[in-house]
Amino acid sequence: MGAVVGTLTMQTSQRQPSRDKIDDELEMTMVCHRPEGLEQLEAKTNFTKQELQVLYRGFKNECPSGVVNEETFKHIYAQFFPHGDPSTYAHYLFNAFDTRNNGSIKFEDFVMGLSTLLRGTVRDKLEWTFHLYDINKDGFINKEEMTEIVRAIYDMMGKYTYPALKGDVPKQHVDAFFEKMDKNKDGVVTLEEFVLACQEDENMMRSMQLFENVM
Amino acid sequence: MAAGVAAWLPFARAAAIGWMPVASAPMPPPPRDKRRGQDGLIILNVSGTRFQTWRNTLERYPDTLLGSTERDFFFHEETNEYFFDRDPDIFRHILNFYRTGKLHYPRHECISAYDEELAFFGIIPEIIGDCCYEEYKDRRRENVERIQDDEENDNNKDMVLPDMSFRETMWRAFENPHTSTMALVFYYVTGFFIAVSVMANVVETVPCGSGPNRAKEVSCGERYVLAFFCLDTACVMIFTVEYLLRLIAAPSRYKFVKSVMSIIDVVAIMPYYIGLVMTDNEDVSGAFVTLRVFRVFRIFKFSRHSAGLRILGYTLKSCASELGFLLFSLTMAIIIFATVMFYAEKGSSASKFTSIPAAFWYTIVTMTTLGYGDMVPKTIIGKVVGSVCSLSGVLVIALPVPVIVSNFSRIYHQSQRAEKRRAQKKTRLARIHAAKSGGANAYLQYKRNGMLASKQTGQALVCKSNPTFETQHHHLLHCLEKTTNHEFVDEQTYETSCMEVSLAKPSMSRSSSLSSSPHGLSSCCTRRNKRKSFNVPNSYMADGRRSSIQELSTIQIRERPMSNSRSCLNAKFEETVHLNSEEQSYITAAVISMPTPPVTTPEGGDSASSPNFLQSNIVRVSAL
Repeated sequence: MGAVVGTLTMQTSQRQPSRDKIDDELEMTMVCHRPEGLEQLEAKTNFTKQELQVLYRGFKNECPSGVVNEETFKHIYAQFFPHGDPSTYAHYLFNAFDTRNNGSIKFEDFVMGLSTLLRGTVRDKLEWTFHLYDINKDGFINKEEMTEIVRAIYDMMGKYTYPALKGDVPKQHVDAFFEKMDKNKDGVVTLEEFVLACQEDENMMRSMQLFENVM
Repeated sequence: MAAGVAAWLPFARAAAIGWMPVASAPMPPPPRDKRRGQDGLIILNVSGTRFQTWRNTLERYPDTLLGSTERDFFFHEETNEYFFDRDPDIFRHILNFYRTGKLHYPRHECISAYDEELAFFGIIPEIIGDCCYEEYKDRRRENVERIQDDEENDNNKDMVLPDMSFRETMWRAFENPHTSTMALVFYYVTGFFIAVSVMANVVETVPCGSGPNRAKEVSCGERYVLAFFCLDTACVMIFTVEYLLRLIAAPSRYKFVKSVMSIIDVVAIMPYYIGLVMTDNEDVSGAFVTLRVFRVFRIFKFSRHSAGLRILGYTLKSCASELGFLLFSLTMAIIIFATVMFYAEKGSSASKFTSIPAAFWYTIVTMTTLGYGDMVPKTIIGKVVGSVCSLSGVLVIALPVPVIVSNFSRIYHQSQRAEKRRAQKKTRLARIHAAKSGGANAYLQYKRNGMLASKQTGQALVCKSNPTFETQHHHLLHCLEKTTNHEFVDEQTYETSCMEVSLAKPSMSRSSSLSSSPHGLSSCCTRRNKRKSFNVPNSYMADGRRSSIQELSTIQIRERPMSNSRSCLNAKFEETVHLNSEEQSYITAAVISMPTPPVTTPEGGDSASSPNFLQSNIVRVSAL
């Protein structure tokens, strides 16, 4: 009987450290961040005051602590794509927004990114997209990075598509991309090549205008 | 799902820029925003409490009241806000749903009130968040059970169909002894005989003093063999008859045979028959004696008579897993301690612990702290083990017992609540009906005053100091009377008219109109008299007058009587009014409906009884 009681007590003592860890995590998330004033943000971005207000309200609703970490970011993005798994693409997006590379997005980063995407010049947008594709931030897009991106996009579609997804479809996309973008055929795409190629593509230019009136 | 994060939609759409260079086909054109205006604040005034929110927040869920154009129906122009005459406390939760996308259920709110609010605002309760879902489901289930309970009792007690077969009546009598006197008598008789049988079993083993021819004491059973045999036979006869009757009456014989009570019945009466079959056979008489043990199972037949016993049985059944665990842990402990004890006491001389199974007895007696003392350890180790055994015994037994006790307590309280509800239901219903009849009575009062006034002065009806609502209500009832050419009267009048009808013409033929709607009438009158079966319509009335009136709530509008009877009707009208004015002390109001036999009216038109019969053409609603 005593042995039984002994084993029971031993187990509880093992559980103690993990519980402390959870308490620590809770404390960390209590840290709050406040963005700079409305006027400064208005000056820095191309949004009006009302638009910033709307954006901040939505931001704060999902992230009361004022910063978005990658988990929350993926969770939010997943709500929009319930069919597939957008976590990979969200990861790349997160890295693109997180210009300071410290693992969290503050409201300023968020708004700056959005400002570029929605209100920026064509060149700004293309640069931003280039940085999105350049996963290792070395200034070049190679085939592996592009394959990653395309695969991430296809992951968002999920399993049930018509026609059914076959294994080599991403590869075809990547090949077509490089065909179009890689002017000097050196196997990588630089920023200039990318911008030039995109500006030549009419479809893309038209698509870029699509999201102008999103706000 | 995305509505909760609707504010992030612009971000998601902007992030789609990453797809552009990869896309091989052009993108579809974007949707055009209908309202490009500013996102405005909406004021929601719920019974005086003002809530404000952004319009976009509400429009996240366009299939609810607040999110769709349905809210325009509640727009109040003067104050430029949306006014809802609902509960503001519950509305808080509903508005939070729009804001956060999660619906919570407040524990202190009544489940029906909450459900009503949700239904009003067009929100389905299935989206309640996980945090509150369990609680919500539990409360909902309790509520449904309560309603079902009430309905069941209603059906059981009140509804008797005249065409219930004899078999069904018998089954109902068995299951619920309060339905008829016969059933009650049967119930008490069987209870008495169970008690007698058990007492006889007990008494027949008591030593009764030495018999005349014997030296030693004999038990009463052996002394008065014949008497006990007769008693036993009588009891078994009764039990057999009861079992056979139940078997015949059971709606599903297979289910009945499988049920616990029927098995107990069989086990109770089997020993007797087996004993009858195999008397005078010495070899099996030993087994026969053992069979007599089963006679004690007759005591379980009492569980039909005692609700507490049934609850106990049900508790044990529902705690089967706890009981099983108790048994298992006890067995483990017994084996462990018995083994240790045996090896500890092996050395000592003349030890009673001859084997491990022998030590089981010691362990059980010690663990349950009985301590008979017939087996005692002598060595020191034995005594140490014995003390540990007794200490742990207390623990092991004490652990599962509270679970069983709490289970029993819960089930017992549930049944108590059900009983209380049933008892209170009568008073509750009485209150409701008093309120109902108060309303109906008010109309009759108004009518008497108004009618009399109009008759005397020939003017339009003058309303006294009634509030507007009542006046309009009375006017409505009056219109109904005029429409149907029937009148509202109260119970007394109806009964007197019934009496007159039954006295007047016993040979009234059945009417076609009756045959066209038998069910309405049968349900109307049969409720009042359960025992008799009805063939003649008039006998309904005759019998109905005599038996106790129970609850009716049907207004039956019969076809208009023929034109030549209308004059009679008007004549009757006067009589009715006179009757009413005489009997002023009615508590209940009744509106009577009877069939009009158009065929017989011309025949009976010239006889004196026809006005009496046509008097019966009154619409009746009785509320007790």
